[in-house]
Amino acid sequence: MEMLHNLAFGFEHALTMQNLMFCAIGCVVGTLVGLLPGLGPLATISLLLPLTYSIPTTGALIMLAGIYYGAQYGDSVSAITMKIPHASSIVACIDGYQMTLKGKTGLALFTAGVSSFIGGTVAIVVLAALAPALGEVALMFGPADYAALMMFGFVCVSFVTTGSLLDGLAVCMLGVLLGQIGTDINSGVQRYTLNFASLVDGVGLVSVALGCFGIAEITKNLDEHSERTPFSGKIHLMPTWPEFKRIIPSALRGSAVGSFLGILPGGGPSIAQFAAYALDKKFSKYRDEIGHGAIEGVAGQAAADEAASRTSFIPLMSIGIPENPVMALMMGAFIIKGIQPGPNMIKEHAELFWGLVASMWVGNCFLIILNVPLVRYWLSVFKIPYNVLFPAILFFCCVGTYSVNNSLDDMFITAAFGLMGYIMLRLELEPAPLLLGFILGPMLEENFRRALLLSRGSFTIFVTRPISGTLFGLIALFIVWQLFAFFRDGRKRAAQRKGEPPPQPPIPVAPE
Amino acid sequence: MNDRHLLKGLFLIAVALAFGLGSFKYQMGHFERAGPGLFPLLVSSVLLAIGVTIVLRSFFIDKVPMYFNLKNIAIILGSLVGFALGSLYINMIVGILFLVFFSTLAGTSYSAWRNVKIAAVLIAIAFAFKDGLGLQLPLY
Repeated sequence: MEMLHNLAFGFEHALTMQNLMFCAIGCVVGTLVGLLPGLGPLATISLLLPLTYSIPTTGALIMLAGIYYGAQYGDSVSAITMKIPHASSIVACIDGYQMTLKGKTGLALFTAGVSSFIGGTVAIVVLAALAPALGEVALMFGPADYAALMMFGFVCVSFVTTGSLLDGLAVCMLGVLLGQIGTDINSGVQRYTLNFASLVDGVGLVSVALGCFGIAEITKNLDEHSERTPFSGKIHLMPTWPEFKRIIPSALRGSAVGSFLGILPGGGPSIAQFAAYALDKKFSKYRDEIGHGAIEGVAGQAAADEAASRTSFIPLMSIGIPENPVMALMMGAFIIKGIQPGPNMIKEHAELFWGLVASMWVGNCFLIILNVPLVRYWLSVFKIPYNVLFPAILFFCCVGTYSVNNSLDDMFITAAFGLMGYIMLRLELEPAPLLLGFILGPMLEENFRRALLLSRGSFTIFVTRPISGTLFGLIALFIVWQLFAFFRDGRKRAAQRKGEPPPQPPIPVAPE
Repeated sequence: MNDRHLLKGLFLIAVALAFGLGSFKYQMGHFERAGPGLFPLLVSSVLLAIGVTIVLRSFFIDKVPMYFNLKNIAIILGSLVGFALGSLYINMIVGILFLVFFSTLAGTSYSAWRNVKIAAVLIAIAFAFKDGLGLQLPLY
């Protein structure tokens, strides 16, 4: 009952004219930018972050959330119609694109739209029910537990986004080190500023994000010289009743999987899509058709995608720890707006929290109204050639960086991060975990130092407390498992050189 | 030498050393009361260990050459720096013109007339940002 009451309270805030408008703008702009080649949710959010500076807090966060799930949705549209997985919709390419090849684009888009709606709705109920309860649990967390949770998050994210624990952890640590630049809050000492005045407050989040995800991505796309042919087929949207009936069970399955995986550290839309797809492949009534353009292959993953992109707000808002790079960026946005996400946020900024939750459902409606009937207009975005698009994106990167502090110095920092991001991309170091390390770095240091202060310098505090002990146990298990896997593969490689058949290629895991 | 895995490890080692050696400039303190240098030293040690592991591992796995297009990244970064300098010393319209005309050198085809059109649209957007959203752009 209390939940319904709270949700009603939230809708009161979400349904004001102003917030409705921000939600609509967020969804539209997010979808639009999400459709553009080479810009996934991370780049989209960081590109549009500066637009929210002059907007009131609740409106700004509603708009950013809209941008996020709008971009997520836009991604799946381009995946279905043109098999371009930008960043987060690799699974949608499989059956979605197969359906396009069969001339069923409209059905695939309708399925994705409706399933996303179902997934989003289920996830919001989960969010409303679970976030406050988890917030109570979070109040029991001490500094050692927070430090352990962050490190556990690093390990999970590293593994999920890069597929290689070592590479991912390295990138996380790199992010933590970059977060060290600036003034140390405990002693007031300036660290690694190289005497640049613009680095005293640390490196700007927008500079890091735009450099590593905007500029580096643009350059990478330019290297590939690929011009895409825009989609020009017919779109017939309305499904028949038997087709419609096939959407529902698969979408519900996807919603459940997505809601659950969205909450776990390192979880989020990409892994949820894979899990939902795998589940459908195993349990669906039409499992034989999956992979060749089946409705279930689209419905399950689309629902999981949207569900996970909403439930991944739960750890951020109730514990105050973002569980994946996109949420880390969101946390940055919260902090820029002067809100510290965490257990106290739900109580102190109740109108913000419930307004945001309710706005997600409103955004759901916007997405389905705007996107399903109007999808063919969205697709005209692809008619813009990349040679026109990339100078424009560069310009937005410049304006975005500049308007954070109205300082042109920041642009040189962005350019430097662009170079670093490009080097990392070329070294096959996926830069997404960097953002998580960068945002959590200062918090990790703070909690680490506080925990050691409490324990008088003894590291046993990290293993004797039940919560942190469990988390460190899991980390240790993970590392042992990775070591084991490496040596097992090593033996396989040795065998392969002797002329045995090569092993199956690993499933590609999408970056967030 | 052109082995991506090896270069990756060396890159990480270089970063770890830069931050790790830099941390000795700051007070270490001890674990009970950590100074500003302690945490970066710990983190860079972990990064160093990972870098060394990746270098060692690169000797046991197949070599992959690394691709690096110096021209494109140089053009893109050059156009950003040019935009900043142009906006700083003249005004942002000059910056936008430079950005468009220089960055498109990295594209697959080059057309001056197309660049004029792109620049015109971007300048119009910049005016909309300045007057509509209230961003403080030094346009003129």
